Amino acid sequence: MGRDEDIRQAIIDYASKGAKSKFYFKDMLTGVKKTIPDAGASEVKKVASAMVSEEVMELLSTGSSTMYGLKGRGISVEKSGDAGG
Amino acid sequence: MGAPGQEKLWDKEEKEHKKYDDIRIFTDEQLKNYTDDELKNFKVKHDISMIEQLESGPWPSFVSDIKREALHRHKLGQDNLMIPADICDDLLGIVELSYKEGETHWKHGGIVGVLGYGGGIVGRYNDQQAQFPNIAHFHTIRVNQPSAKFYTTDWLRGFCDIAEYRGSGLTNLHGSTGDLVILGSFSDQLEPIFFDLTHDLGVDIGGSGGNLRTPSDCIGKARCEFACYDTMDLCYEMTMEFQDELHRPAFPYKFKFKFDGCPNGCTASIARSDMAYIGTWKDDIRINQDAVQEYVAGKIPVDGGAFAGRDWGKFDIQSEIIDLCPTKCMKWDGKKLSINNAECNRCMHCIDAMPEALRVGKDQGLSILFGAKAPILEGAQMGCLTIPFMYVNKPYDSQKNLVRKVFDWWIEEGKNRERIGETIQRVSLKTFCEVLGIPPMPQMVKEPRSNPYVFFKESEVPGGWDRDINAYRTRHPR
Amino acid sequence: MSKGKLGYYDPKKPQAGRITDIGPSHYGQMLPPVIRRNYGKWASHRILEPGLLVHVSETGEKAFTVRAAAPRLISVEHIREICDIADKHCNGYVRFTTRNNIEFILDDEAKAKALKKELDGKKHIGGSFKFPTGGTGMGMSNIVHTQGWVHCHTPATDASGPVKATADVLFDEFKNMRLPAKLRIALACCLNMCGAVHCSDIALLGYHRKPPAIDHEVLGKVCEIPLVVAACPLYAIKPITTEEGKKSVSVNNEKCMYCGNCYTMCLGLPLADREGDGIAILVGGKISNRISMPKFSKVIIPWLPNNMPRWPEVTNVVKHIVEVWAKDANKYERIGDWAGRIGWERFFEKTGIPFTEKSLDDYRLAVDTYRTSTQFKYTDHAWAVSKAVGGI
Repeated sequence: MGRDEDIRQAIIDYASKGAKSKFYFKDMLTGVKKTIPDAGASEVKKVASAMVSEEVMELLSTGSSTMYGLKGRGISVEKSGDAGG
Repeated sequence: MGAPGQEKLWDKEEKEHKKYDDIRIFTDEQLKNYTDDELKNFKVKHDISMIEQLESGPWPSFVSDIKREALHRHKLGQDNLMIPADICDDLLGIVELSYKEGETHWKHGGIVGVLGYGGGIVGRYNDQQAQFPNIAHFHTIRVNQPSAKFYTTDWLRGFCDIAEYRGSGLTNLHGSTGDLVILGSFSDQLEPIFFDLTHDLGVDIGGSGGNLRTPSDCIGKARCEFACYDTMDLCYEMTMEFQDELHRPAFPYKFKFKFDGCPNGCTASIARSDMAYIGTWKDDIRINQDAVQEYVAGKIPVDGGAFAGRDWGKFDIQSEIIDLCPTKCMKWDGKKLSINNAECNRCMHCIDAMPEALRVGKDQGLSILFGAKAPILEGAQMGCLTIPFMYVNKPYDSQKNLVRKVFDWWIEEGKNRERIGETIQRVSLKTFCEVLGIPPMPQMVKEPRSNPYVFFKESEVPGGWDRDINAYRTRHPR
Repeated sequence: MSKGKLGYYDPKKPQAGRITDIGPSHYGQMLPPVIRRNYGKWASHRILEPGLLVHVSETGEKAFTVRAAAPRLISVEHIREICDIADKHCNGYVRFTTRNNIEFILDDEAKAKALKKELDGKKHIGGSFKFPTGGTGMGMSNIVHTQGWVHCHTPATDASGPVKATADVLFDEFKNMRLPAKLRIALACCLNMCGAVHCSDIALLGYHRKPPAIDHEVLGKVCEIPLVVAACPLYAIKPITTEEGKKSVSVNNEKCMYCGNCYTMCLGLPLADREGDGIAILVGGKISNRISMPKFSKVIIPWLPNNMPRWPEVTNVVKHIVEVWAKDANKYERIGDWAGRIGWERFFEKTGIPFTEKSLDDYRLAVDTYRTSTQFKYTDHAWAVSKAVGGI
């Protein structure tokens, strides 16, 4: 696997375990570093952003801060085109 | 549009510029669809007698304004609106309820956004959905305002159509951070609004959450003689350079840039931004001695006429300028004003007071102050003067490189929900200086530390910290 | 613009046609011609009358600016009326200031005066002015504020209402330039201060006095408890199991500072409370570096009740402070500079505002606010202390 795939897998591992379904970037970065100690913030962000665009992950903004989470785990995003509204 | 090649999309001075007519949603008839008499007799759906008491008095009444939007929406009809025509009625109704009860009826509760972005939209729901179904959702969309909030009416009218068709028709011009704010949209309209904004208006949404927040700036060189750098251009360029940081969260918490052209600080960067860019100069204040004489003779009003509403007596340069100078670096001998510029701390007082006689120096740049924030949690902080002077030359590489250094460090070192001012406080200003690669300077502090609890590094002390106790004991028996 | 429920957006292909990262519209296309011609060439300015400025360029050209108030929360109907005025008088250009004022820029003085007259003649049917001009020089500029009950989930007061009531009371100071210095007032409806008011001459701050109520019935079901616990910046929230066996949380009331972050994460922890909520008043802050350094605002009244719809307790105090300051201060003295010169004991004496035990700081670094000097002035406050110890 390439570097990006390794990071992606580490993110999924981190995001699918643990008590919190949503977490700060910083915590995710720490989680990734456990398997990939030299992972940098910018490359983890790049992979995480791609996962958000692919709708594998989603972002929760409380207005003041933002959290990442695996789509479908815990409370989820309301989207345009969904029923209701 | 901010995108390259689209800088003149809306430029009325260009022949082929985009016009409101090219993108409008509503016809002229739809826009002027009610009479003054109808407005006079208009009643919203709910009893709002308490907040209607805020219609009287001279200050522009938000209640009167929301009522006319309510009427306008009624007359447009639901077929011409993508969210409830009665949304303003229900909004006034719920505000009335809060006025009666003294409690808010809004909750956060939801997660909303546009695909791929972590900020720009804040979800809002009310807790009285049965009584006020039309404001079941009332989300906020932050739209990145142009530098110094200049607009053409074509652009603004386009914005209005989106905000009315896919929003409540209510806005904030502007939000506290600087964005244009569309209030009161529903979840299913967020992507369509985002597409309309980016496709037709050529504008992106702003920041929220643990992102770079929408930067903002003062009017700068567009219409102010005090501006020491081009605030509007630097604000624009920095916003473009750090789009990824603005839209995709990786910061421990919010981060704000603000750009003030001079130490008067009209944009409040020193109090409200994690990184405040404040214009300054490093040569001499320019003096027009003839104009000084005219001020002294009372021919030019002091402060540009700002005191004109009261008789403060004749202008006295000695007591009003020379004596109020915080560094006492000025002299007036009855004929000539002299300034010891090396001792001037550029507070702006004399220049503010006599703008036609004194001007900021010509050798201009900016200072950078880090860490301002509102009180939560460790108490309010104002920006700490960290960089005394930097030239500001397009494409602003030195400014951009400094920011990258700061971001790279803060992403790694900052704790969750910690503003950079708090991070600096926690790890010490000394550490922050090392990160930036700058030497400490006395200008960073109001006065030297009074506690002597200085931590030395092991490498700074000859011999290090590992000591031979036996050798010690040869000198000092137990 | 697109029409219909989904417009340009296709939920089946959410990435199709998506434009991202384009930032703000470029400012260059929004500038009136007189501004473009003289960009970076401005030499000086004057305020010709309240609400009317002239800027003079090195080229000799002049730009005339008419400034009018806006309530910030404005409808598109209001914006369109602004656009109509800008089309008629300013070739379709308009701008807004940091303090939510509207600015119309022209290149002719007579035209600017005609516009100003027109603006001052426009009224809402309810009676208030639509676009009162003013907000210049040594007067009050617009009051910046937050969302309040119109839109926010953690406010301790409304924003638009108290601001309207305060601006009504101080309207003459917006229309005139007769104060000793600038007057900048701001309102934030809770201590999160999304509108940072902490460096204002007068700050109105919504203040909760009760920690969140806990809805044990639903909390464990609708909220993710680890997120709620993590939301508290003071670590005052702990997970518990109630006696009925429900998963919930406890709040350490002594630690809570009413920020509402927990309510943001979880609707089971509401903060709003009729009796608890009100407004604190802080004075003496500023952001300008002119003469003295920027200053924080200081708490002078810890709490006043929410008395809708016009908050008379709040507006009376604000008006009174402005009147005492206007009468007593020297030319150029902001409220904080004035209070600093006469001494805060004299500020409390002259304004008649009670100094209570709550005015003594007891948060972190409180010791920094203690006076460590024998330099003080005698007021009744001092005599009361002397009497209490039998010293007089």
